[in-house]
Amino acid sequence: MNSATRSGQGITLEASDLKVLYGGNTALNLDRIEVREGEVVGVVGANGAGKSTLVNALAGWSRGAPKVSGQVRLDGRDISRMPAHERARGGLLLVPEGKLIFGQMTVDENLSALAGTVAASGRRVYDQQAVFELFPRLLERRNHLGSQLSGGERQMLGIGRALMLGPRVLMLDEPSIGLAPRLVSTVLQTMRTLASTGLSILLVEQNVAAAIDVVDRLVLLERGRIVAQGTAEQMRGDPRIAQAYLGSHHG
Amino acid sequence: MNLTQQLVNGLVLGHAYALVAIGWTVLLGVARLVNFGHGQMYMVGAFVTWFAIAQLGLPYLVSIPLAMLVGILIGLLVQRIMLQATIEQNLVSIMIMTLGMGYVLHGAAALIFGSTGQILETPLSSKDITLGDLWLTWQDVAIVLVAIVEFIILKRLLDRTRIGRLVRMVAEDPKLAELAGVNIRNVYLGVFAFEGAAVALAGAMVGPRTPILTSMGFEEVIMTFVVVVLGGIGSVLGSYLAGIALGLFTALFGALISPAYTTAAAFLVLIAVLVLRPGGLAARAH
Repeated sequence: MNSATRSGQGITLEASDLKVLYGGNTALNLDRIEVREGEVVGVVGANGAGKSTLVNALAGWSRGAPKVSGQVRLDGRDISRMPAHERARGGLLLVPEGKLIFGQMTVDENLSALAGTVAASGRRVYDQQAVFELFPRLLERRNHLGSQLSGGERQMLGIGRALMLGPRVLMLDEPSIGLAPRLVSTVLQTMRTLASTGLSILLVEQNVAAAIDVVDRLVLLERGRIVAQGTAEQMRGDPRIAQAYLGSHHG
Repeated sequence: MNLTQQLVNGLVLGHAYALVAIGWTVLLGVARLVNFGHGQMYMVGAFVTWFAIAQLGLPYLVSIPLAMLVGILIGLLVQRIMLQATIEQNLVSIMIMTLGMGYVLHGAAALIFGSTGQILETPLSSKDITLGDLWLTWQDVAIVLVAIVEFIILKRLLDRTRIGRLVRMVAEDPKLAELAGVNIRNVYLGVFAFEGAAVALAGAMVGPRTPILTSMGFEEVIMTFVVVVLGGIGSVLGSYLAGIALGLFTALFGALISPAYTTAAAFLVLIAVLVLRPGGLAARAH
């Protein structure tokens, strides 16, 4: 089967033979992963399983200097050799873990930095108004500096900034980390809302219990490999998921 | 000694320092880069202006943009060569490369312009203003005005425009800027082009105050370093204020104590400030 027929089935993001090496160590070794249009795919696994490494490699980005090989396709187009900023402008957006907004810029400036500069044919490009409708909290905080925001507001801002570049695929790395439970469900429910507009979402989560309620499919990573995957329903009963779920209580 | 005259001298000198330093402020604040060829780029700016006026017979107002254009080209060339080191933030390599580039510029300038001193004479530099006991030239007035206008434009550009936002994004976190869709290579190139234009403008404006030599540049880079660090690295307003403070200090120290030790004294002030306020004068207390 070639990739053209695959994208005919609504696959927006796919990667094959994706390998990431840090020094001499293999951090990731995937045969294949894909996300369809309007689908929310969760990536779960223990610490160090390669979850962040996966989304970073897909985005062509890293704060370190890993060796990445393999093929990444966005809407059937090979983007493996594109630098990170071109992938972002092409519609593959990553909201990274940790520092995900500009602390010395206001909410407005964070959002509007590159707004309006992307020619996103066929993609929905959010304007500031639409982001504020999605996250009313950001409207109240629009003149605050990024560094003054709470963890939940930072996630909203990170997602909002990505939406203003007209994402085809949105990848989020641990959006629930450090958030109050009520905010976790707000942020994750937003993922469902966004997916219903046709956006594809790849969600890295350690909080399996929260993630499993919003994802269509779940992928379990262990030591850089996919060890189980299936629909949320199938995976709910999987003992390895239960184990990972228990693990998250201790983490 | 005439104190008012020394204050005027100090203010003019201070604006000259600020003008020479402005490119480095952006360079260090945005790209976390140093440019030890800065002084030689200043020298080239002064000599291109001199050549355009004295040899080509061009008007001063045409010679200045010509010098800035040469500055931009040098800046782009240097940054293109250093791009990989810049992205890796390899400061040691950058320091050595820019030092070497300074020597190359010095040698090239000596070949082209000769190694004898020249006077960069402009229509403003020979026109005096005397107010009672006070004396200054129209060139001094122009230095002050150009410095103020340039700092205002730069501040507004950084605070209010899209380009300014991109520059601030790269300054804060270049990796995150990539994820936000910013081509950081272009920003780095743009910042170095600005450095080249700004320091060439400084050469064209400040050069007429003293005889120019192709061997000059060391004192300019040292004073720039003091201004940028005193002002708080990357702070535009801080650099402006630090430039003026350093100018007043130099003028008064030179008049009251000895002009021979002003550079050494400026460094003592820098060390004292860094010990007391490691972030520079403009650093906010946390």
